[in-house]
Amino acid sequence: MTVATINHRLIKQALTIRTVEEKFLSLFSEGKLNGTVHTCVGQEFSALAFAGQLKKKDFVFSNHRCHGHYIAFTGDVKGLLAELLGKASGTCGGIGSSQHLCNNNFYSNGIQGGIVPVSAGYALGNKLKMNGAVGLVYIGDGTLGEGALYETINIISKWEIPLLIVCENNFYAQSTPQNVNLAGDIRARAEAFGIKTFKGHTSAPEQLMEDAKTAIDYVRNETKPCFFLVETFRLNPHSKGDDDRPAAEIQSYREKDYLTIFSKEQGEYYSNYMDSISKEVNEMVEHILLERELSMEEYYEHVEQSNSSKWQVAKPVNKRQVELLNNFFKENIVNNDRMVFLGEDILSPYGGAFKVAKELSFLAPEKVFSTPISESAIAGISNGLALNGFKPFAEIMFGDFITLAFDQIVNHASKFHHMFNKKATCPVVIRTPMGGRRGYGPTHSQTLDKFLIGIDNVKTVALNTFFDPAIVYNAILNEEHPVIVIENKTDYGKKILHHQSANYVYEINEDEYPVVQVRPAVSSPDITIVAYGGMADVVNSILSNIFLETDLKAVLIIPSLISALPLNVIAHSVAKTGKLLVIEEGSAYGGIGAELIAQVTEQIHEKIKVKRIAAHPVPIPSVKSLEHTVLPDKERILKEIKMHFT
Amino acid sequence: MPIVQEIKVPLLSVNDTTLTVVDLPFVSGSLVKKGDIIIVFESSKTTYDVAADTDGYISYLCGTGQDYEVNDIIANIYNDKDEIPALPEEKKNKIVTFAGSEQQQEAAATWEGDTMFSPAAMALIKNNGMDAAVFKGRDFVSKTDVEEKLGIPKKDISKKDKDKTVSLLPTDADKVIVEKLSSNKKREIDYLSNIQQTGLTSTINTIVETGGLFVHINQSLAYLKNSLLPVVIYETARLLEKYKELNAYFTGDSVAFYKDVNIGFAIDIDKGLKVPVIKKAAYKTMQETEAAIMLLSNKYLDGTLLVEELNDITFTITDLSGEGVSFFRPLINMMNSAILGVSAIDEKLQRCILTVTFDHRVTEGKLVAQFLHELKNRIESYKSSYYLHPTQSITCSKCFKSLQDDLSDVGFTKCITPKGEEGYICQSCFKGF
Repeated sequence: MTVATINHRLIKQALTIRTVEEKFLSLFSEGKLNGTVHTCVGQEFSALAFAGQLKKKDFVFSNHRCHGHYIAFTGDVKGLLAELLGKASGTCGGIGSSQHLCNNNFYSNGIQGGIVPVSAGYALGNKLKMNGAVGLVYIGDGTLGEGALYETINIISKWEIPLLIVCENNFYAQSTPQNVNLAGDIRARAEAFGIKTFKGHTSAPEQLMEDAKTAIDYVRNETKPCFFLVETFRLNPHSKGDDDRPAAEIQSYREKDYLTIFSKEQGEYYSNYMDSISKEVNEMVEHILLERELSMEEYYEHVEQSNSSKWQVAKPVNKRQVELLNNFFKENIVNNDRMVFLGEDILSPYGGAFKVAKELSFLAPEKVFSTPISESAIAGISNGLALNGFKPFAEIMFGDFITLAFDQIVNHASKFHHMFNKKATCPVVIRTPMGGRRGYGPTHSQTLDKFLIGIDNVKTVALNTFFDPAIVYNAILNEEHPVIVIENKTDYGKKILHHQSANYVYEINEDEYPVVQVRPAVSSPDITIVAYGGMADVVNSILSNIFLETDLKAVLIIPSLISALPLNVIAHSVAKTGKLLVIEEGSAYGGIGAELIAQVTEQIHEKIKVKRIAAHPVPIPSVKSLEHTVLPDKERILKEIKMHFT
Repeated sequence: MPIVQEIKVPLLSVNDTTLTVVDLPFVSGSLVKKGDIIIVFESSKTTYDVAADTDGYISYLCGTGQDYEVNDIIANIYNDKDEIPALPEEKKNKIVTFAGSEQQQEAAATWEGDTMFSPAAMALIKNNGMDAAVFKGRDFVSKTDVEEKLGIPKKDISKKDKDKTVSLLPTDADKVIVEKLSSNKKREIDYLSNIQQTGLTSTINTIVETGGLFVHINQSLAYLKNSLLPVVIYETARLLEKYKELNAYFTGDSVAFYKDVNIGFAIDIDKGLKVPVIKKAAYKTMQETEAAIMLLSNKYLDGTLLVEELNDITFTITDLSGEGVSFFRPLINMMNSAILGVSAIDEKLQRCILTVTFDHRVTEGKLVAQFLHELKNRIESYKSSYYLHPTQSITCSKCFKSLQDDLSDVGFTKCITPKGEEGYICQSCFKGF
């Protein structure tokens, strides 16, 4: 083998990546890195062939082994060094470190596979913008086991999204050899979805560069996806000290390694290059080691929540909730350039399972995407669109299915802003209907809000029928962080504030996500009841019964932003009534009632009586009589109030 | 010029943007005389009296127990009673105690719709032969509402805990004359109750031999000759640097040690008990200490003590020697852990008693005993060794200065006077200055 013809600029770049990686390994051994590193020694030419040949407007998504990709695409060696050394000047202020980088259209995350639909969403954004930019996502052969990958390959092929998937096959998933876990053929997997594929090897960098250029041009010119399998060798362990591969095998890789051959055949050039690169990297590190780390104030500052205490009389709207939702989206899909609407079965005339999307695809077919049954990809693509400046509204057909999108919510949408040290925002919106009383049974009736309210930097809103839902959605349009909206199946068909209990006053405050209070017209209430979502309407309908049967005058407080409950409104009321009842449709343990009661008792020092009423902790039965028993129904609520508060 | 004095809320310290009015000794419309205390404020640290600058008729724009912001006008004094506006505008309490809205519930005070009665309420109305029409204007009537109307007291357990008022002893107007406590006295009770009511205080005494003590001390003093107070403050301040537990206070679950030694000394000469403070007393010379006592005492008498001259006391000394008391037990002030009492000097026995009352939650008897022992030794070290001789009658035959008045502490020389008699001559006259 000879290395005579290759461009030395490329050699120098590859040596730079290798030197930086080796430096990380030695810094790790010296205890100067907090955490671990995944180095790409041996795989450098894969980084240079793809990330290195993109234009500035293009993008790169990468994974845990991303240093080479990062240097090849951004050229920012200093930012990377400082990032891993945990310094404020690092690419992400030291927050993300090795696996979580963000700089000029470069994004990486440490979750296998999850970044693939995000990159597809980002590419879709470029296609919608028609800016001619393309991009790629690097995965390893280990990621071939992740379902999100295939959900995405299916969609990018069907929707012709200009994304290049580069699969770096180093034949090991961490320490497990490929033959243990991988069935069939890698290229055939992509080809089965009708995607053009390429194959290359890092030991032949010239050829790889050329083929990579062809693949990138194909994606750009044809506006189609492409899959490139790059065979390569990882000369170092997965991260540190977790290498059980046979030494002889690694030695054989080393001998085939292009840079090793270069060092033997052109020793003088090699040592000259290495001397100057090492000197430069060492000087940078020496300098960076003296730098400061990010302070907590720079990273995060707690903002005290406050709620409006100005109440106005709430006004009925003679329209069904679903009509108002549909009107909001019809108006915005036409007038709001940033809005994109995605979901299963949403094309008109069908218009989605609950008809919220009715006629949207007629009005703006280019921005309404009816997806396959791929919740992870729906959420991931929406995340990518959001990173690319869009305001995607993803519909999950039933709230029960949101668990399939959980990785995208928790590990991607929630984290991007902070782990990239505020360089990115992800204003994604996920809407989904929850709630029972329709006989849909165990997997189509649940209220899973308690799993969503504790996700950092994600707001969870529960709609109700006491005000126009457009108020909430207009507020969401201004959000720069993720929002999950829980709609309620039984509320869709109800008109706004249609039923009003006698001698009660219905008031709404001025919060962005309004709080509704239903209080006795003149009397001071004796008990504070908090209910939200579909439960609010149930409680509202029995306020008179509560008085007649328990002799208690109740005030009903209905929050909409349930991830940050209106504590001062509720605590203020409880301070007067001394009694707090929280009613939720999900099960009680670790739920919203638990959270609210904890917060209220932290604030109020007098003795108060508290109670939660919630669903029984079993799957919701389809059979009507049992479904109504499992969920908190009117009789149970009345009985519990009598038992606990009188 | 109808208003002759306008009273605004003063700024007493940067931390207090509001002050509480704790006492209004007059009623609006009363005649006040120049110098009368017309308003008493309470800040986070102290109380502050406002006196009338002039004679006139007072009109209050504030109420007791309310908080007002600095610079709010809270009272006016008018020249003539007729000039007082008929209904002085009542100022609203500006401090919102809870972050919610108060107005919400009061919004709709009247109700013209039907009244809904609970079955329990209906039954009670029936049983008592009431007319349900008395509840006209109500939205809901519960059993409790009916009971209230019938005069049956509310059963509210949470309220009971809150109203822990002090039970008052009975008074019989035939046998006693009741005088309300002044706000000053009430405050004093509050201050002293804070520590004393726990009962965890104890008292230790020591006797200081005073014979010959002032021979030296008086040399350092300009005005307060033969007074123990300056030397006691001077030495106590220095000792407190060592005995940090006595310069501290109990917070409820821990002990807070003061960083400075600020000694307060109690004065009570006609103008009420006040405790002015000598700040950083451990860094003052005897002369500076005496000067501070003089200055603060004069200000006390003139009524011009500033708030900061009464604040931040870390240890208190109360000197009742002027009153001739032979022994007393002082009470510890709030946010102090000890107090030192100085009794009168017993001229016959040539001694006086020093007393320390201390907070047992902060320190204990042994340490206080050591403190007192060391204080006694330090004070007694000023003693002149010649005090046992009848120094009064020994005078210099030249300048007539008595040996007691002599500042040099060398003694006089026996000599034969020019008249040929035996006599004494002082060192100054003998050797010249």
